[in-house]
Amino acid sequence: MIHAFLKLLLSGILVSVIGTQGLFAQTLSVTGEVKTPLLLTSSDFQLLERIEVTAKDRDGKEHRYAGVPLTVILRKAGVTLGGELRGENLSKYMIAKAGDGYEVLFSLAEVDAEFSGRTILVADSVDDTPLPQGVGPFRLVIPDEKRPARWIRELKSLEIRFAK
Amino acid sequence: MRNILLLVALAVFLSSFWVETKEKKAELHPYKLEYPSSFGSRFVIPADNPTTEEGVALGRMLFYEPLLSSTNTVSCASCHEQTKAFTDGRPLSIGVSGKPTRRNSMSLANLLWVKNLFWDGRASGLENQAVFPLTHPDEMGQSLEVSAKKLAKTTRYPSLFRQVFGTSSITGEQITKALAQFERTLISADSPYDRSLKGNYTLTASERRGMELFMRGPAPERGVRGGNCAHCHGGAKLMQEVFHNNGLDSMAVADRGRQEISGDELDNGRFRVATLRNIALTAPYMHDGRFNTLEQVLDHYNEHFHFSPNLSHELRTSHNEPTKQRLGLTSSEKKDIIAFLHTLTDSTFITNPAFSNPFETKK
Repeated sequence: MIHAFLKLLLSGILVSVIGTQGLFAQTLSVTGEVKTPLLLTSSDFQLLERIEVTAKDRDGKEHRYAGVPLTVILRKAGVTLGGELRGENLSKYMIAKAGDGYEVLFSLAEVDAEFSGRTILVADSVDDTPLPQGVGPFRLVIPDEKRPARWIRELKSLEIRFAK
Repeated sequence: MRNILLLVALAVFLSSFWVETKEKKAELHPYKLEYPSSFGSRFVIPADNPTTEEGVALGRMLFYEPLLSSTNTVSCASCHEQTKAFTDGRPLSIGVSGKPTRRNSMSLANLLWVKNLFWDGRASGLENQAVFPLTHPDEMGQSLEVSAKKLAKTTRYPSLFRQVFGTSSITGEQITKALAQFERTLISADSPYDRSLKGNYTLTASERRGMELFMRGPAPERGVRGGNCAHCHGGAKLMQEVFHNNGLDSMAVADRGRQEISGDELDNGRFRVATLRNIALTAPYMHDGRFNTLEQVLDHYNEHFHFSPNLSHELRTSHNEPTKQRLGLTSSEKKDIIAFLHTLTDSTFITNPAFSNPFETKK
């Protein structure tokens, strides 16, 4: 009982310390069937290869999104793309999760530019400004999709899994 | 020939012993969970706790068992009454200490599909969830070890636990497992709304208008009005496992919600988006029970919410009027939505004898 109480107290202190410093905030994790799990911050994003795409958001207007191509991030984590995306690796998929718990799925083949010919962006800015709170710091942008239901706001994690 | 027959008979006789010793636990009957195909099977039942008829029956007894509390007066059902869709009608609940709990008692419907339980999603899986109310000093206030010992001293329970779990002694883990089995069976899928989807109920004009407003997002530029409720509360189960800040406070300080679990300031004031099944039965509303009526809830979403820093994006951006301040539904539109919400009351669920107090059936 006392032990449980102490644990609760400790975790409360930890949470408040971490909460005020925002240590867990503003990161994107890449986990699962990867060689190197990643935990990326906004500043890490500035060091990676960046591109810009123009795409229509839910408002029907064209916007310029900038950020890192999804494949660049997945390759950095050692996900099986390109030449390695064959055989059983074609039964892999990616779960993208938002800060509120919303999840959507992509097959690994559809996110690989070499395979599907499409570019998916992990954006951190729109029209030259950082994504606002509630949308950023990271958002998936899939320019060629007619409905933006997979354009996840507040993207928190990408998990690669095998269909079993 | 006779020798062969004798041999066969002997083999059958011996094999019967073999089967009997090997399948001592196999007298359990799998429980068939029934739900509409539209609900889908996106759930995981732990491999070490399969749902069985016997386990569910035991879990039901434990759900109504006051011996699981330190005062022998409080059971799970004290704060989760079937007639109220397994809530208790109070803003905050009262357990063994008499001190109000921190948060509002949650409805227990369709938990089979919930991965992370509680208002803040802190418990993964029903087995883990059950530990909290059983042991919390302001809820049932008794360690699992003491509960197991108390049950072991009864005449009723030892044989039931032996039957379900195949062991001679009762453990705390078995208590939570049996409770979880029972809770998985609490499926609500027969409200007038569900029946309307099957063509067995016709929504009234007001209910239909309310449903359309509920399901649609507003698009004033195209003359479309909507409440956009379904964005977070939609789907066949009227439940999605997401956690949002719905602007109850400008900053959540007394209860930071999911931030207390994740440590992430983006989670400040984020709480589970509650199921709307049986919502007319589960007042008062919100994690702290601050709203007594559905009218107050609708007024909140339409007129009163705070623009907290991490207010749900949908609340921030759903507008019916060109002024683009808040949702902007008219009072008759709000009434229609409330009429629709009443069609989510599942009277089959709240009267299902399989979910009722097993100790009262003979009355």
